[in-house]
Amino acid sequence: MIMKDTMGIILTGTEKIPPITDHRSVAALPFAGRYRIIDFVLSNMASAGITNIGVATKNTYSSLMDHIKSGKPWDLDRKYQGLSVLPPNLWENSHRSLRGNIDILAGIRGFLKKSHQTYVILSLDTHIYNLDFKALVKAHIANQADITVVYHNMKGAPESELSRFNLLDIDDQNQVIDIESHPYYPKTTNAAMDIYVMEKALLESIIDECLARGDHDFVTDALSKKLSGMRIFGHEYTGYTDRIDSLKSYYINNMAFLQDEVRKEMLNNSRRPIYTKNKDLPPARYGDSAVVENSLISDGCIIEGTVQNCILSRGVKIAKGAVVKNSIIMQDSVIDSDVSLDYVVFDKEVHITKGRCLLGQDSYPLAIAKHTVI
Amino acid sequence: MKNKECIAMILAGGQGSRLGALTKYIAKPAVPFGGKYRIIDFPLSNCVHSNLDTVGVLTQYQPLELNTYIGNGNPWDLNRNDGGVYVLPPYQSAKAGEWYKGTANAIYQNLSFIEKFSPSNVLILSGDHIYKMHYGKMLEAHQASGAAITIAVMPVPWEEASRFGIMNVDENGNIVEFEEKPANPKSNLASMGIYIFDYEIMRKYLIEDENDPESSNDFGKNIIPKMLANHEKMCAWKFEGYWKDVGTVQSLWEANMDLLGETPLFHIEDPLWKIYSRTSALAPHYLGANATVTNSTVTEGCNIYGSVNHSIISSGVDIGEGSIVSDCVIMPGVKIGKNVVLKNAVVGDDVQIGDGAKIGVTESNDNPHASPMCTHGLVLIESGAVIGENETVLKGSMIEC
Repeated sequence: MIMKDTMGIILTGTEKIPPITDHRSVAALPFAGRYRIIDFVLSNMASAGITNIGVATKNTYSSLMDHIKSGKPWDLDRKYQGLSVLPPNLWENSHRSLRGNIDILAGIRGFLKKSHQTYVILSLDTHIYNLDFKALVKAHIANQADITVVYHNMKGAPESELSRFNLLDIDDQNQVIDIESHPYYPKTTNAAMDIYVMEKALLESIIDECLARGDHDFVTDALSKKLSGMRIFGHEYTGYTDRIDSLKSYYINNMAFLQDEVRKEMLNNSRRPIYTKNKDLPPARYGDSAVVENSLISDGCIIEGTVQNCILSRGVKIAKGAVVKNSIIMQDSVIDSDVSLDYVVFDKEVHITKGRCLLGQDSYPLAIAKHTVI
Repeated sequence: MKNKECIAMILAGGQGSRLGALTKYIAKPAVPFGGKYRIIDFPLSNCVHSNLDTVGVLTQYQPLELNTYIGNGNPWDLNRNDGGVYVLPPYQSAKAGEWYKGTANAIYQNLSFIEKFSPSNVLILSGDHIYKMHYGKMLEAHQASGAAITIAVMPVPWEEASRFGIMNVDENGNIVEFEEKPANPKSNLASMGIYIFDYEIMRKYLIEDENDPESSNDFGKNIIPKMLANHEKMCAWKFEGYWKDVGTVQSLWEANMDLLGETPLFHIEDPLWKIYSRTSALAPHYLGANATVTNSTVTEGCNIYGSVNHSIISSGVDIGEGSIVSDCVIMPGVKIGKNVVLKNAVVGDDVQIGDGAKIGVTESNDNPHASPMCTHGLVLIESGAVIGENETVLKGSMIEC
């Protein structure tokens, strides 16, 4: 019942990962073959029984709208509430410059107000995970917390990695005593996953307060200033997770799904399946000369060449004699015969003509924009 | 409801007894096909692409699976405000209550359903054929000719013509004679069991047929011969393209294999004529470092570590390391262990095969599982069956639970 009294707000990511985010937000990026990054948070919220979810988008939202449509794959096409995509042109404060997440939240103030739920789960950035939101809300209530922050302990990670996150200092009571936003010299290894639980009324008052002061960021302007006056708790997540904030992290995290354990935990979790849009494509078809090893292949692919250590989205065609290694190829790309590719990331509908050769590097994959013909 | 130009009625009540263990608990139209489909997906998808938005599905034999599969029709876009898909089982009424006695009787019993849409024409389909057809084009021809009935026909090889219901047609496409399985066929145009009737005329003949105690209430045996005898205007509409009756284990296997090859005999990859199906969200399939997959189709949710050749691997199938699968149709959810050899088999959903099993490789005249359903050495394994470690299954066996 408590989840009926909890709503979800999802922001679609702030980072730019050119060229693959030129026409879409990070949340709408294709991921692990047939998914989009937003599928993880949406599916987890749906599995937890949340039936009122708002997705607050920035300017490039057509890709996201096309993916989500009525919310049917997540069983969120409801008569009452369900899934709402909140485009920026409906913002109340559209005259304000959009400098931070508070400005986006201010724009959906009306949506928050008309929602009847007591609690809100706020997802401010684009992380991938498979998380039990029900346990999170229960812990929040049990702790009598004002705000609960989900974090992941990255013990042993290099400082440069830790700097990609908001880091929490947590005492032995699990209470957050300090927050540092992307520090150059990290003091702790508790990386916030940018998921916050609080009462909806508190979120509304934080937004109002920030607006009144001309503040823009939920973490640096609101949360870290309120540490002493509020009960802010940490909630540890121990599964697979990362933040998608660069081409490198996009590449590494996709490739992680070639590991059996990662797929098992993230995608084949019977309690929390990951739902996504169905495109009704036929099964993938392999030709006589196909050689495919250690790869994730989606429906609608036609493979006649060689594919090693790759992630292929739906409808990718690999012709005879083509050799594709260590690459991520998005939907409907066409690789002609005798093409050789290594360490590339292709956006949708890229076409590589006969005999071409494109090589990226392990540390620097070569990304090619949507519709490119080479 | 508004007057519909045409509504479709799909006959999906047949048992499909020649499919053996595959149809023990499900009706033939619910049998899995092509990796992620069921047979009924083909007529349903054809209806949608032909702009037919009102479809009745007549069920009778083991309807549970089919009913839940069709549900509200959403996967086929048939959850409509005005029309949509309706599952129509036989029912009891104040005066009578009976099973569907034949194809014509099944439609007769649902005349009140059809009446609700006051259609000008009714399309009769069977739920056990694999093909893509634009019924709209057939309807256009039917309307242009002003026929009482238009029957879809297709040319079959002359040597096989005596296995079909053959239509003898004059130069204008009018049907002049209908012969069921003729010894000496005069034409090679076989009826596909697809009819478009003028609704009022169909209604008249169905009522007459119902009142005839001698009739077996079948379209092919009774209604069509009677219409011919009465000199109704009856036209043939020639279909050219892939069409397969998947009534036997062998033909089901063959139709699946027709999806393979460089240019498959049956093309289901047309983006403008997608075959829709009800599927659950499964991960893309994974091929392990030592996997080899050639001349096959593989569906989402599979994990393949062994080798696969000339086979259809349906959704959620696992194939362990060292296993060799060839010339097989593996239905959804099958778990195949390590070092299994599996050849020339149709394996029903959720079958489990233990490590080291040898299936369909060796032959013996003394096979306790031999079945007349399993011709050409095909092996058929019933849904949910378990094959133990190192077990041997001989060619031509039918393994039941």
